[in-house]
Amino acid sequence: MYVKVSTPPDVNKNTSWFQYPGVWTTYILIIFISWLLILSVFGCDAGTAWTVVNLGHFAVTYRFFHWKKGTPFAEDQGDYAKLTWWEQVDNGRQHTRNRKFLIVVPVVLYLIASHTTDYRNPVLILNTIAVFWLVIAKFPNMHKVRIFGINSDYDT
Amino acid sequence: MATGMVMEMKETLVSLLDAPLADAVIFGIHIDGHLFLETLLVVVIAFLLLQKSYQPEKRPLTEQEIDQLCDEWTPEPLHPPITKEMELSPPVLESAAGPHTVVNGKDVINLSSANYLGLIGHPKIKEACNAALEKYGVGACGPRGFYGTIDVHMDLEAKIAQFMGTPDSILYSYGLATVSSVIPAFCKRGDLILADEGVNWGIQNGLFLSRSTVRYFKHNDMASLEALLEDVRQEDRRKKKVLNRRFIVVEAIYQNSGEMVPLDTVVRLKEKYLFRVLVDESNSIGVLGKTGRGLSEHFNIPVEKIDIITSAMGHSLASVGGFCTGSAKVVDHQRLSGAGYCFSAALPPFLASASITALELLEDNPVLLTRLRRNISFFRSKLATIPGVVVRGHALSPLIFLHLQRSGSFAEDSVILQQIVDKMLEEGVLLSASKRSLLDKCKLGAGIRIMVTASHTEAELLSVSSSLGNVIQSVVTAQS
Repeated sequence: MYVKVSTPPDVNKNTSWFQYPGVWTTYILIIFISWLLILSVFGCDAGTAWTVVNLGHFAVTYRFFHWKKGTPFAEDQGDYAKLTWWEQVDNGRQHTRNRKFLIVVPVVLYLIASHTTDYRNPVLILNTIAVFWLVIAKFPNMHKVRIFGINSDYDT
Repeated sequence: MATGMVMEMKETLVSLLDAPLADAVIFGIHIDGHLFLETLLVVVIAFLLLQKSYQPEKRPLTEQEIDQLCDEWTPEPLHPPITKEMELSPPVLESAAGPHTVVNGKDVINLSSANYLGLIGHPKIKEACNAALEKYGVGACGPRGFYGTIDVHMDLEAKIAQFMGTPDSILYSYGLATVSSVIPAFCKRGDLILADEGVNWGIQNGLFLSRSTVRYFKHNDMASLEALLEDVRQEDRRKKKVLNRRFIVVEAIYQNSGEMVPLDTVVRLKEKYLFRVLVDESNSIGVLGKTGRGLSEHFNIPVEKIDIITSAMGHSLASVGGFCTGSAKVVDHQRLSGAGYCFSAALPPFLASASITALELLEDNPVLLTRLRRNISFFRSKLATIPGVVVRGHALSPLIFLHLQRSGSFAEDSVILQQIVDKMLEEGVLLSASKRSLLDKCKLGAGIRIMVTASHTEAELLSVSSSLGNVIQSVVTAQS
């Protein structure tokens, strides 16, 4: 009945939850269920719902993965105070399975959204901007890079 | 306009891609720009998934980053900033804390020691202490459970039980630790305690250590207590009543205000609402009741109705330590659960002998009680005539508090009261103003705490009250 979880070797409490089995499935399920919710609440067509999901996913994941820095846990004494969540995941290792999964998800969402809206124009641009923004933010070359000093802690 | 441009670009791109493949249909899939885009994305995904994982090398911090990190680091101080009040040091006694004592080489009248029956320095107690020292030495050298129990401990426990009229009692080695150990021995997480908001720090510490839910009622306000009990009962009715222990914690005479709790009301309420009551009788043993047996005797309530009685022996019994008494089960439980009993060294045997002798003196000399009562009422009547201060505390309490008539916050009052106390020390009277620790949650006001004893003479008390009147007048007029 209880999931047997092997102790995650990640000591960072902020990101250790992403090591647990079932996180990926939960993530996908959340996206899928929110699509269903949007369909049922707004009664729009499938394509618009996917666009809303894509843009919502972009907004939420950008804020929490790439904008907010540090951790909510005081015990780590500010070790990660200058790192965003994306930079903290997997202790900064690039191209791990978690990271590949998280890069692929926005691309797949973009595919679905643009296919179901039939590449119609205003939404296509929004979707494209969202996917580009997210994927570029997740490049390993962008590790600890702050463009134009935005969201930086130092006076540049 | 941007959309227009992008539209154009898209149109051109699509037409470019469509041109060679226009209207091509392979295996039923319509080949067009969209499919091209999708395949491109799939290829990108596949490329991504095939990347090897690596750890980026740790870049050493640049000079600029090091400088900025050092600049922004501010260490937190280990202690709060030292204020002037913290630097005040209380007067040091250079002789025994009797009705007279020596401070700074000068003999002063001592109204700051809780020596209510005047037993400090009594020859019989000294004799008993000397005999015990000759026989046992000084320390007990062990906790009660591990070869630290000496026959005088058993004698004192029996004596206290016989004196209070209870089946048994248990000794603690330190007065403040008594109630701090008793409360956590009986109350655990999930239990409910209703405590007076003016309880002293020892009780507050015990309440905190017990991890129970504590709700405070207004100081010595029985209506507030009853409202709280009703509230608890309402909550029980609404939610499924959880089985937990419920206590009411009060002091007989409050250390912080000198008020006496109306025990008859408390007992009536506790029986109605099915609570247990814990009374801290540190300031009422040897003071209240016809024979000094405390609050229960004063109210003529059989002592069995109070579930737990605790007391420190450093007040009227002129010794050190504390005791707790109640039913046999109450006392027996503490032999293994009382933290101060199990994990502290036992009371030094000569102090136990001193307590036994003090109790015997109290039993044999009821005149001490009458003398104390007379002194209290005399002094209170004289203090009531002093303008600018209000005399607080129960009429029978040896703890008398003088609060300023025009009182501000605790800190402001403390400053004025400390000036009065300092001036009184110059006049030859040792008083003390209420001081509260930063940890103390009691919100009662500041006052001068006077402890009347049975060995003061009326002449002394008269002189004290008159000089107090002069000093207060001078300080209060200087203030305004």
